[in-house]
Amino acid sequence: MKFVDEFRDAELGRAVAMEIMSLVEPGRHYKLMEVCGGHTHSIYKYGIDDLLPANVELVHGPGCPVCVIPMGRVDDGIAVANNPGVIFTCFGDMMRVPGSDGSLLDAKAAGADIRMVYSPLDALRIAKQNPDREVVFFAIGFETTAPSTALTLKRARMEHVGNFSVMCSHVTIVPPLKALLESPDLRLDGFIGPGHVSTVVGARPFEFIPADYGKPVVIAGFEPLDILQAIEMILRQLAGGRCEVENQYKRVVPWEGNLRALEVMADVFELRPHFEWRGLGFISHSGLKLSERYADLDAEVRFSVPGVRVADPKACQCGEVLKGVIKPWECKVFGTACTPERPIGTCMVSSEGACAAYYNFGRFAREREVV
Amino acid sequence: MTGADTCGSHHCVTCGDDGVPMQVVRVDQVRGLALCEHDDGQRETVETALVDPVAPGDLLLVHAGTALIRLDRAA
Repeated sequence: MKFVDEFRDAELGRAVAMEIMSLVEPGRHYKLMEVCGGHTHSIYKYGIDDLLPANVELVHGPGCPVCVIPMGRVDDGIAVANNPGVIFTCFGDMMRVPGSDGSLLDAKAAGADIRMVYSPLDALRIAKQNPDREVVFFAIGFETTAPSTALTLKRARMEHVGNFSVMCSHVTIVPPLKALLESPDLRLDGFIGPGHVSTVVGARPFEFIPADYGKPVVIAGFEPLDILQAIEMILRQLAGGRCEVENQYKRVVPWEGNLRALEVMADVFELRPHFEWRGLGFISHSGLKLSERYADLDAEVRFSVPGVRVADPKACQCGEVLKGVIKPWECKVFGTACTPERPIGTCMVSSEGACAAYYNFGRFAREREVV
Repeated sequence: MTGADTCGSHHCVTCGDDGVPMQVVRVDQVRGLALCEHDDGQRETVETALVDPVAPGDLLLVHAGTALIRLDRAA
């Protein structure tokens, strides 16, 4: 397939791996963070970490939107779903995220009308098909997904669909990266930048990382060769004493992003003063809510939302995994009490979560041999 | 049930930072929608407001029912 097959060529992959080998200084340890859950998934699916020298460590970042949703937010969703007459819609993985008293899937089993959708447009369609019911879409995701929610809200207004509303839990990518860079327990050498978030926001928002923190960023695609090449580009910057934002994924990501998407988002959303991230705590200006212009379509205005803060389970170390401080298998409950079938923490829920990626692809290796 | 079951693939395309290349089959210009087809034959109605105008045969990167970018830009 065009844009895919060329980037899975094993021979080229080995050549880039050799190039990487020639760029690393023996005795220096390199810690690179892949920000995006999609990259984490690809790295373990294709065994990319096995192609790297032992002193190049990949740290998994907070870029899985399911993994960063706190328990209290799930409880809020269930409270809205339990209102009589409500059809509550959300993406598939979100249904299994544990709240303090079960998941949305448990609430569905107990009688709430909760349905999985593939897009906000699907949720709007359900609203049109059920004019006597209130349909709520539980919107999660980074800037990749937020334009889709924004366009659906505009469409709901244009088509006069009055029984549709959105419970907005969208988040933005830059504030958690700033929080990670300020974190004293994490020393990183560079970032593999998120590919599809950047189709919307462009490369410019990441320029503060080299400018203020002196670390390279390379925006990368999701095929194995994309990720290998991005690692090679970061190491080349480090070897040459450079730090800048580079775009490995030029075939998809324009430097300036998608201006129309940014305009739509600016019209429909505004920043919350702060938003709680699972494991990372409250981060200022990191979450989106509906703007005043769209308040009539805001489920949090239409329904009573408890907004109770629930502490993460004590046994769960998702926060440290999300910050890259520990590897998934170093968590006390990994693979024992916490599995994809019965997750305790959100990192084990989504297929893009670091723990689920480790678990599903059998990546239990504690140490790699030094090459 | 796993993420793979709920999303119909090994990778949850709806919630991650993940886009899928799709080809435009038919366009509804009035409503700003297009019927698009994935490489495996799966079809989906897609919002095209961010990449308009589109025509049958165009290749788009689709995420959560919205085309984010054209993939046939001159490289």
